[in-house]
Amino acid sequence: MASLSTTSLSFKAPSIQSTRIYQVLHKASSFKSISFGRFQSSKRLRLQISCAAKPETVQKVGDIVREQLALSTDTALTAESKFSALGADSLDTVEIVMALEEKFDISVEETDAQNITTIQEAADLIEDLVQKKPAAQGS
Amino acid sequence: MRISVMSQMQRSFSIDLPSLIPLQLPSHEVKSTSLLKRYSQLLSPIEKDGVDQMRGDELKKNALLARTLVRTTISRYQTNKEVDPRSLMFKKNVYGKPEVDWQNCNNQPLHFNISHTDSLIACGVTVHVPVGIDVEDKERKIKHDVLAFAKRFYSADEVNVLATILDPEVQRKEFIKLWTLKEAYVKALGKGFSAAPFNTFTIQSMPGTEGAYNLCKTSEVTADPPEETKKCNGGWKFALFDLADSHYAAVCTEDDQANEGAPTKIIVRKTIPFVEDQLISERIFL
Repeated sequence: MASLSTTSLSFKAPSIQSTRIYQVLHKASSFKSISFGRFQSSKRLRLQISCAAKPETVQKVGDIVREQLALSTDTALTAESKFSALGADSLDTVEIVMALEEKFDISVEETDAQNITTIQEAADLIEDLVQKKPAAQGS
Repeated sequence: MRISVMSQMQRSFSIDLPSLIPLQLPSHEVKSTSLLKRYSQLLSPIEKDGVDQMRGDELKKNALLARTLVRTTISRYQTNKEVDPRSLMFKKNVYGKPEVDWQNCNNQPLHFNISHTDSLIACGVTVHVPVGIDVEDKERKIKHDVLAFAKRFYSADEVNVLATILDPEVQRKEFIKLWTLKEAYVKALGKGFSAAPFNTFTIQSMPGTEGAYNLCKTSEVTADPPEETKKCNGGWKFALFDLADSHYAAVCTEDDQANEGAPTKIIVRKTIPFVEDQLISERIFL
């Protein structure tokens, strides 16, 4: 899962802002020129819209990882922490994924499970799966 | 095959086979800082970075010992000339499996694979055939219900075998044995987990043998209704055995076409590089 960071744009013409954002979301990577109605920008704009998983998701993932790997309180966990660097082997990774499935009531594909290498990646995948759940189930 | 194993106690077991060699190193037996320093001198800058990335002293030490075991093991099995363990270079195949980069010497027959737990590091070396090895602490506790875990990840046939075991302790041990065998296969295959998801193949013990196993691959035939077919022919050989009374070790090698179906000899050695080397056992697996 690519991790995204939020960027905010400010436009001089607020009325077109929503249209602009829609356009930006539609084209996730770069686009050559933007016309702002009255405003013409010949500059090439590269825009990256990214959304990081919520901090509380990252926190919950961290708690599960800490428990599965029996990490001491001295071991600091960040979103970038790699499971392998924390001493997780493949059996640990699978157990972590199972715990995450239970905690968040989601179902992870085996290939996705094996591709998770950091806490951030796990959190991003979780939020993606939670979001895709049918509306009736809520989150 | 020789398997060298290093455990945290830093015992290394090497297993000699005509085609496979496992060596074991018990990691907790290595404590001397001067020895550890000597080991770190064997590592490449990239490997040293890898060691530094590990979070915590025990994990760092384990990572150092693993690389040391790989380098010293491969260099000791070079027959044509003395090889300085420092001089070996490594690369990864397209799927990320580590391999020796023999540089200008092509068609080198030596293959290796490594596995470690908190207390044991195992390195298997083979000639001519790819190898996968996985070791696991026998007492490893599974945090989830074993059957639920198996239903989620293992094949239906394997779940059925586990479901018939009534004693939870025996069931847990069988689960761990199966895990090591399945891991060893995926590692031997060297194409990543997506090439062989755990629920698409079954490893079953061969009746009347001890430690010999068979691989059966399940594939869905596109028929109406869809059927599953099982292919249990050869191609891969398995061996499961105890290491140091504390671990299960599973070894998987590709069946050498020239010697298809021939028995495999496994020699286990315990090693602490530069310090000691001890023959533990020799076994033939059918």
